[in-house]
Amino acid sequence: MSDYEDRLGESVSALMDGEATEFEIHRVLKEVGDISGARNSARDKWQRYQMASSVMTGEPVSKIDLSGAVSAAIDLENTHRINPLIRHAGSAGRFAIAASVAMVAILGVQQLNNGGLENADAIQFAEVAVGEAVQNTGPALQFPRGFQPNFQARTVSVGGNNKTARQPVAKPLEARQPINKQFSELELRSYLNDIMMDHSSHAALNSGQGMLPFARITLNGVAPEPE
Amino acid sequence: MRVKSWFKSLKLAAILAAIFAHGFLFAEPMSLGYDLVTGMTNASKRLSYAGLVTYEFRGNLRSIKVAHIVRDGKTYERIQHMDGPEREVVRRGDDTDCMRAANLLLGGRPLKIDDDNYAHLRDSYDFHIRGDARIAGRSVSMVHVIPKDRFRYGYIVAIDKQSGLMLQSVLMDHDSKPMERFQFIDVAIGAGVNNVKWLPSLMKSDGVDDSVCQQSKIRPSPSAWESRWRPPGFVLSSYRPVDSSGRESIMYTDGLAVFSVFIDASERSQSWPSVEANLGATVVVLRKAQFNNRQYAVSVVGEIPRITATRIAIAMGPIRRLPANP
Repeated sequence: MSDYEDRLGESVSALMDGEATEFEIHRVLKEVGDISGARNSARDKWQRYQMASSVMTGEPVSKIDLSGAVSAAIDLENTHRINPLIRHAGSAGRFAIAASVAMVAILGVQQLNNGGLENADAIQFAEVAVGEAVQNTGPALQFPRGFQPNFQARTVSVGGNNKTARQPVAKPLEARQPINKQFSELELRSYLNDIMMDHSSHAALNSGQGMLPFARITLNGVAPEPE
Repeated sequence: MRVKSWFKSLKLAAILAAIFAHGFLFAEPMSLGYDLVTGMTNASKRLSYAGLVTYEFRGNLRSIKVAHIVRDGKTYERIQHMDGPEREVVRRGDDTDCMRAANLLLGGRPLKIDDDNYAHLRDSYDFHIRGDARIAGRSVSMVHVIPKDRFRYGYIVAIDKQSGLMLQSVLMDHDSKPMERFQFIDVAIGAGVNNVKWLPSLMKSDGVDDSVCQQSKIRPSPSAWESRWRPPGFVLSSYRPVDSSGRESIMYTDGLAVFSVFIDASERSQSWPSVEANLGATVVVLRKAQFNNRQYAVSVVGEIPRITATRIAIAMGPIRRLPANP
């Protein structure tokens, strides 16, 4: 008896005791299902074990093997195909969870998107999108020009495909918009711009890096334009 | 038998020699990298230079014309953006002998925080020479600046061999991915660049606030707010009291990285939600905090990891009783 068969025998025994691991169950089922060929020993073994166990527990012993008939019947059954609609609904559900996690992080950000971005902004974001696929799965278009939102829940890019993850995250944002509308998004936007400017000009004096912080300031025209 | 033992001692000697030589060979680039970095703050202050710089982040490229002119111990700076909306910054900078906290730190000088604590650049970063390269037509030494903790980012800087000026700085995230790149593509260094048209008008203007120059000890900030946690090595570098818009700012540096804390109690800030955003390598964390029945918007802005910024924002609190809501 080979080593493999030994282990298989142990797996069968474990399966009957209800102690088999998932891996063992799969292995046993695979072997047993393979009716043809010389691999019938596992099947026979299972039958013998079953019989022995029946004797020990005082159950009537029968040598009739129904397994072939059962599996033939299963084969005849119509395959239950997954309705594509249901499948989509399922992933939408996952998206919804993902999106609701993302909500925690961006609760305050979403109000910024109803200002309607000018075309120039869209172009800028298109630029941004080129290199940012790795870092940001969130909808870049939601944020004031130049800014990119941060999603703490960015690991939820379902299926790892950024493109599919993008849409579902966006939807709940719109849904949440009415919650706090009492502040001016423009004001907040210009405040963020302001403090970044402030930071940069401080930093230009207070980091040993010379004029580098100045280069940062005006990215994407973040500095408020004179009006 | 004798030959064998002779071989043994030879082996031992070889190993010992290797260890010593190794120590020497590698210790030197370490300290050399450190020396180069600590020298660059001085060079960027005392040298006149003018050139073209590209600034790049995540697929965006900006080109900027910079000039830094030193005349009679005073510095004048001009930054012109060469693409996008027309923009120009012209200002009189610090005097060349003004040493701010960051200059001192980056210059390798320890700064006294309190009686027992000193901040020192070496405690925050490791410095490794990464060979030579050519940037803006000049020969440079590449130095990899590696943070000693995860509260800050690392850099790859290129330092001009001749002048000590920094010609490239790449900010690296913790996965060693570049986040932004600042690089000269052409530069002229020395007195030759001194003759510029915009200088005379600027020479009459006022300089920047230089009250924080030459501080060898960190003074406590006069703010009613204190930072109860910040990454080790960061010291107070500047403070601005509440301005007309109701905002005060406190700024910290470890010599290379800088972050600013803004506290806003104005009427308009009351309704703002908490927001996080980033632009290039700069992160903004705006957090709402409530003290003494009053809402404050506490914002941390800097080229630091977002988690660090969030932690800093959470740890900002009032030292003394803040004015109650009128």
